[in-house]
Amino acid sequence: MLKIENLHTTVGGNEILKGLSLDVPAGEVHAIMGPNGSGKSTLSYTVAGRDGYEATDGAVMLEGTNILGLAPDARAAKGLFLSFQHPMEIPGVQTMTFIRTALNAQRRLRGEADMSAADFIRLIREKAKLVGLDDAKLKRPFNVGFSGGEKKRMEMLQMAIFEPRFAIMDETDSGLDIDALKMVGEVVNALRGPERGFLIITHYQRLLHYIKPDRVHVLAGGRIVKSGAAGLAAELEKSGYEQFIEAA
Amino acid sequence: MSRSLFINPTAFETDLQAAFAACAKANGVQTAAFERFAKQGIPNRRVEGWKWSDFHGALRGLSPANDAEAQADIAPSDFAALNPLEFRIIDGRIELPQGELPDGMRYDVVDPVATIPELEHHAIATLNVAMTRKALGIEIGEDAPDRPILIRHINTNAASTFTQTMMRVSVNARARLIETYEGEGIGLYSHLFHMVVRDGAKFDRTVVHETGAGQVVNTVCAAKVDADASFKQTSLSMGSRLARHETLVHLWAPGGSAEIYSLALLRAERHSDFTTHVVHKAPHCRTRQIHKGVARDRGRNVFQGKFEVEREAQQTDAKMTANALLLSNTAEANHKPELEIYADDVECAHGSTCGALDEDALFYLRQRGLNEAAARALLVEAFVGEVIDGIDDDRLGDIFRASVADWLVCE
Ligand SMILES: Nc1ncnc2c1ncn2[C@@H]1O[C@H](COP(=O)(O)OP(=O)(O)OP(=O)(O)O)[C@@H](O)[C@H]1O
Ligand SMILES: [Mg+2]
Repeated sequence: MLKIENLHTTVGGNEILKGLSLDVPAGEVHAIMGPNGSGKSTLSYTVAGRDGYEATDGAVMLEGTNILGLAPDARAAKGLFLSFQHPMEIPGVQTMTFIRTALNAQRRLRGEADMSAADFIRLIREKAKLVGLDDAKLKRPFNVGFSGGEKKRMEMLQMAIFEPRFAIMDETDSGLDIDALKMVGEVVNALRGPERGFLIITHYQRLLHYIKPDRVHVLAGGRIVKSGAAGLAAELEKSGYEQFIEAA
Repeated sequence: MSRSLFINPTAFETDLQAAFAACAKANGVQTAAFERFAKQGIPNRRVEGWKWSDFHGALRGLSPANDAEAQADIAPSDFAALNPLEFRIIDGRIELPQGELPDGMRYDVVDPVATIPELEHHAIATLNVAMTRKALGIEIGEDAPDRPILIRHINTNAASTFTQTMMRVSVNARARLIETYEGEGIGLYSHLFHMVVRDGAKFDRTVVHETGAGQVVNTVCAAKVDADASFKQTSLSMGSRLARHETLVHLWAPGGSAEIYSLALLRAERHSDFTTHVVHKAPHCRTRQIHKGVARDRGRNVFQGKFEVEREAQQTDAKMTANALLLSNTAEANHKPELEIYADDVECAHGSTCGALDEDALFYLRQRGLNEAAARALLVEAFVGEVIDGIDDDRLGDIFRASVADWLVCE
């Protein structure tokens, strides 16, 4: 599904990813853990196509196509979703209007018709309840003045509405309370299926109690330095990353 | 021809003197005004308050002579759907609405103002007083119908044109005015709008400047606002060769309020200058001002806003913000917000920003599936939203929104 081969990424003149390879088959959930500054967000931005994150070598194959040459919106239309570590605020744009515009933009890129206003309102209300955001927030400017946790809930709201084929969740769990962690688990588990894949970037094991990953990878020094079954997360929590930093 | 009144005149100024001699007989006040104007000349960049809008340079190569030609058909106004009472000032010629005078209001072609003391030092306004022979006068009574008034300023030729409107909104009356500046004219257009909002009255003015690229425009609105009266103005300027929109409000008595919102959308080489001055002369007055300027290509957004608070004007509450958004490296913004406060118990603030589109926000929107044009459009619409959302009439707001959408996609 998402197959990354020998990816090298340069940011601001520094090579951050140094030959990263990773394969998440359809239907699987993989977790990535790794020390601060090891390149986890750089990986997510490179896959999503952010300017300034230049892939100098390698390939990112999404369902068989190398997406590295595509515009960010073309990648989104192929079903790629990034839950941001630090979601943006967009003053002056009502949350509901923005999400509807985005949903319809994706549908159009896939050759589907716009969703009607009534259907959309029904859908967003239902999903907002699921992620624990009240209706009043949907009428406010997007993310403006929202708490860190509310912004993460807003990411999950969009993920639940867009139903992406492949989602990268960059520290969605950071800053979330216990109930919200559980909610993230519910959103992911509801979407989980043979056609979809997830890459969950996290520092802690606790989210993985709710979402049992198929595999866990350690990213250090710009490469995947170790991969294992779900149990690796618990092991890392005990031992830390020191051994990998030295290895990298 | 008589000796030049100017020191070192441009061809334009020399021709103005001839044009002044040629227009219908001047009275003593008009002759005095022309002499006062001649001492100052057309303002150049060295004149205080004019350094970003060089009328002297822009007019240098023009001739003010009136070569008025037969008028092409005038298309219906964008605002026709609001069923306004429509006045037209076509190349300086005033056309009153057809039909009966509605109850509660009067209008006519009247004699122009003799003098506007607060504009004595304004060279172009002074020239206007010297040149204008007929003005549009409108008076709105308390029982006037709730129907907008539309004044269309349409300029089609290369001549310099001077016009005046005088308006009185009577005690406790309500008035809505829409003014449009239109046409492909390439001369100087000077319009002086002189008005009073009497005690307890409410006045709402909407101005849309959407002319051809070649016009050189100076509009000056001088408003006197009485006790508990309100003056609200929302302007949209698409700019032109030089388009300077001035507003001078005197809050004369307690409880007066001024709201001044402006939006400039500038492409190609278009230039817009919003220069405003609100004088708080009495206690308990309130002013709100927001300016938004968006410029691309080589567009230039000028904003000069001044709040003056006199000693008597305690408890003044006045806020001003000006934000510019530059969509290209060659676009320009010049802002000068200014507070001049002589009272001690007031709440006054101003802020000014200038920046490009937020790249992080752009990426976020594109990750969500918006293409580059749609993402940029959404952010620009959000930027100008604060001004447009403040428009009370939804149909007017929609016309503004459509102008923004058109502007975003035009080449
Ligand atoms: N725009 C940038 N300009 C310069 N350096 C950058 C930029 N973005 C990232 N880096 C550098 O790249 C490295 C990897 O950063 P990245 O954000 O990918 O780490 P991370 O693994 O996500 O860390 P964390 O766990 O703290 O989120 C860091 O050293 C960081 O300073
Ligand atoms: Mg990170």
